[in-house]
Amino acid sequence: MIWQFDIILLTLIVLCALFTISIKDLLGAAIMFGAYSFLMCLLWTEMGAVDVAFTEASVGAGVSTILFLAIVHRSTRRVKVRQRGRIFYKGLGLTASLMMGGLLFYASSDFPAWGDPLAPASNHVSPYYLLHTLADTAVPNVVTSVLADYRGFDTMFETSVILTAGLAVLIVLRLDGSRTGGPVRKMARPIAKGYEDTIIRFISRAMAPFLQLFALYVLAHGHHSPGGGFQGGVILGATFILLAISYDLQLVVQTFTEKTALILANIGLLIYSGTGALCLLLGHNFLDYAALAKIIPGATTVTARSDGIMMVEIGVALAVMSIIVIIYTNLVSDGTYEKGL
Amino acid sequence: MEALLIAKYNYWIYIIIMMIGLYAMLAKNNLVKKVIGMGIFQTGIIIFYVSVGAKKDGNIPIVEHATSGHQAINILDYTNPLPHVLMLTAIVVSVGTLGVALAIALRIYNRYQSLEEDEILEQIND
Repeated sequence: MIWQFDIILLTLIVLCALFTISIKDLLGAAIMFGAYSFLMCLLWTEMGAVDVAFTEASVGAGVSTILFLAIVHRSTRRVKVRQRGRIFYKGLGLTASLMMGGLLFYASSDFPAWGDPLAPASNHVSPYYLLHTLADTAVPNVVTSVLADYRGFDTMFETSVILTAGLAVLIVLRLDGSRTGGPVRKMARPIAKGYEDTIIRFISRAMAPFLQLFALYVLAHGHHSPGGGFQGGVILGATFILLAISYDLQLVVQTFTEKTALILANIGLLIYSGTGALCLLLGHNFLDYAALAKIIPGATTVTARSDGIMMVEIGVALAVMSIIVIIYTNLVSDGTYEKGL
Repeated sequence: MEALLIAKYNYWIYIIIMMIGLYAMLAKNNLVKKVIGMGIFQTGIIIFYVSVGAKKDGNIPIVEHATSGHQAINILDYTNPLPHVLMLTAIVVSVGTLGVALAIALRIYNRYQSLEEDEILEQIND
């Protein structure tokens, strides 16, 4: 924690945010928002939140920017410059944000000083997590053990929120009056003339397996280093997005179909809740992985918890990967799966 | 003054970022700009949570392996991991909400051929 560095970063972040909302071009705004996310990433690392930084790098700076590019590609990058009669809305927005800001500034005098180790937030349950994680779960990365074990319920429902978001995107884009969500039309993969770039295609094809290997490493090594199911799943999904951009959408849609993706997403959530139910069947509480020691050969109640965390992380990664691919392929092709970026 | 600046700067900035996000959500005419405002508002909240968990001279929350015997763990050496967990999942959920928001914006564009709020309202009122 270096406060000088922190102040520089925060100032840059505010500037980036201001530029992002004032640029009169959606493509520029999307790129600027990506830069904003990368600065955020640095800020999290600087404050010691490495897992958050990793997630922000893969999700905020990576996938979100691609989603914005997809919608700019499908719609328009135009932002109307002159706006008549917006004074009322601008005044309303300004008043509301100033009032909220004023109240929060007033409240900020009661906040504990930044970096105060004795702040109330750091004094209740978090010392327990830090002190007992090795003895309870044999997982040195406290974020992973809290995520998947101590607060496993939270993460299970967050994963189901992701699944719901994917389904909502499908409902919005695939089911409507004109398109009744019929079967995906199989198109012969056309070779786009004058559009292919051999170098880009070769590099991304050659890199994809290594990226996926890295994603699996991130997933499997989340116990000991920053990473875990969410980050690994997002990187896995991003490799499919890379292939869809460098080749064409058909390559991804035909190999990793909507049906496969949905089944995988559901299997992912089932692995998570199934692990919990398995613990219940073995006579312990829901998601109390210590019960797994009865069926995993050679495991003590402590290492069984570590194994249980691994199992649910795999479920999270499957669900997140599939949903990221579903959201991207639907947004970029307007729900038709015909042509992408 | 310097102590006050260091102690509160993070909180002031998160308030400013939330104000920018709220302004963009309310006052911007373009739907995608509104969605970007929502993203900025979310990151403001995340800054707040992570700042609350930061500790002076705190290390990243990965406990050292006690290779020889059991060493005592000094909790003041490690950043509070709890806000990190909450915010990690919040970031991943934010990409889900972003996807849904953009999908709805896309459907609106397909119907009205515009992402500008006033043009869409004109067409609805006609």
